[in-house]
Amino acid sequence: MKERLAELVSESCDGQVSAAEVMAATVPLSYLGVTSLAQMRLIDALEREYGVEIDLGGDVSFLDSLDGLAAWVSAAR
Amino acid sequence: MIAFSGARSGTAPLTWGQRAIWDAIGRTAPDDRYFNFGRVLEVPRGARPASVAHVSRAVGLLVERHEALRTLVAPGPRQDLRDRGAVEVAIAPERDPEAVLAELCGTAFDYEREWPLRVALVTEGSAAGEEVTHIVLAFCHMAADGLGAERVLRDLRLILLRGGLREGPPPQPLDLAQWQGSAAGRRQAAGAAAHWEREHRRIPPTMFHVASGAAERPPIRRALLTSPAADMAAQRLAVRHGASTSTVLLTAVSAMVAELTGHETVAVLPIVGNRFRHDTRAAVTTLSQEGLFVLDVAEEGFADLLARARPAVLRAYRSGYHDPGDRERVVAEASRDRGVPVHPYCCFNDMRFAERAVYRDEAPIKEALDATRIAWPLSQDRLNCRFCVHVNEGGRISLTADTRWLATADMERFLVELERLLVEAALR
Repeated sequence: MKERLAELVSESCDGQVSAAEVMAATVPLSYLGVTSLAQMRLIDALEREYGVEIDLGGDVSFLDSLDGLAAWVSAAR
Repeated sequence: MIAFSGARSGTAPLTWGQRAIWDAIGRTAPDDRYFNFGRVLEVPRGARPASVAHVSRAVGLLVERHEALRTLVAPGPRQDLRDRGAVEVAIAPERDPEAVLAELCGTAFDYEREWPLRVALVTEGSAAGEEVTHIVLAFCHMAADGLGAERVLRDLRLILLRGGLREGPPPQPLDLAQWQGSAAGRRQAAGAAAHWEREHRRIPPTMFHVASGAAERPPIRRALLTSPAADMAAQRLAVRHGASTSTVLLTAVSAMVAELTGHETVAVLPIVGNRFRHDTRAAVTTLSQEGLFVLDVAEEGFADLLARARPAVLRAYRSGYHDPGDRERVVAEASRDRGVPVHPYCCFNDMRFAERAVYRDEAPIKEALDATRIAWPLSQDRLNCRFCVHVNEGGRISLTADTRWLATADMERFLVELERLLVEAALR
């Protein structure tokens, strides 16, 4: 699932960050250039791909790492 | 005249974005030319020399492709898509394209009768060898927003170069209106409305609530800060903290509003592009709407404030895609329950199209401070806000304010202090 999530992150940034870079990241994704706008596109992509709904009123720090995304999607599905 | 013949016609309710602009136009009339804007496209080298006929054909294809460009406002109000018509084209031999654009934007659109796109072609050469050098497009804001206009320019450029577009049809406003009325659209609307309601029950009733005692005539003024230093400082902060420059600037503006007004909870209405969704990204229409950004500003460093701003920005972005009818209702209810009208009258519009943050060194930031300028480019009678910040490329940050609530001296102080805040935080 992580590969697919990394692709979605990359697409959300219009490819400015590659899926490989996302896979290899050791810092929060925002430091790679995943901006708030990209996060919003990522949220749309996650909601469509996995049929989940993301509540932005809660803790959304999972958006900032691949591990966080994978854990969140697994728990939400 | 450029005749066009599109694939379909029809009417539908206004989309949320159209409704938001329509309401703003209604509140601003007769100064509603304020919402007109435009673009100049230099004919790309690969398409030159381009005859008036060739360019006219391209513009016709453009209007056929994007239904927003042949949609009028019918009573109701409803969107009224026409399949046939002819767009008037002015020929402007040897003119300055920017001056032509200013003329095209100079009068309000006749929304029910006039096509929402005004076109002029700047030409050079004799009648026999006449060549179009620039295409000047003025948009009615009901048809496009800044990002929609960029899409128009991109498509027009490709049509000029290739004779047409191979991509399938883009999302159209008529279809957006249909989705917005569907069960999925109503779910999005309900989530956004809940945010507007929750926050309107706790934010200060308005941000600028004390009369300035120094109203100008006319009361609306614009101060324009040109500060390459602020621009570079915002970039340095963005890279350092893993945020966008837009978030950095919105946070800094909020901190300064807290300082000017004494409010500990600051509510700002950022203009949200609403192009996050797959079905809106490539649409030529007006999608931008206000979101609601709320930040509790305490005595703390900029880095801590920024860290708390980031999730608040996401909530604000999602709240931007809302049904203006819902917003009106929940705001009215909150106002009634609190016994006071609640409206921030404080907005933020980042008009840049691309995020280009580079880690800037200290020395160039300090040196750039010498280049800072403030100008006063606009005054007018009416504005449906009290405090509007616009961000443009090159560190151009303007504040358009109602001097009945914020004196010109305080407008200038806001911009100067905003620059100082950014530069000091960046160099810390």
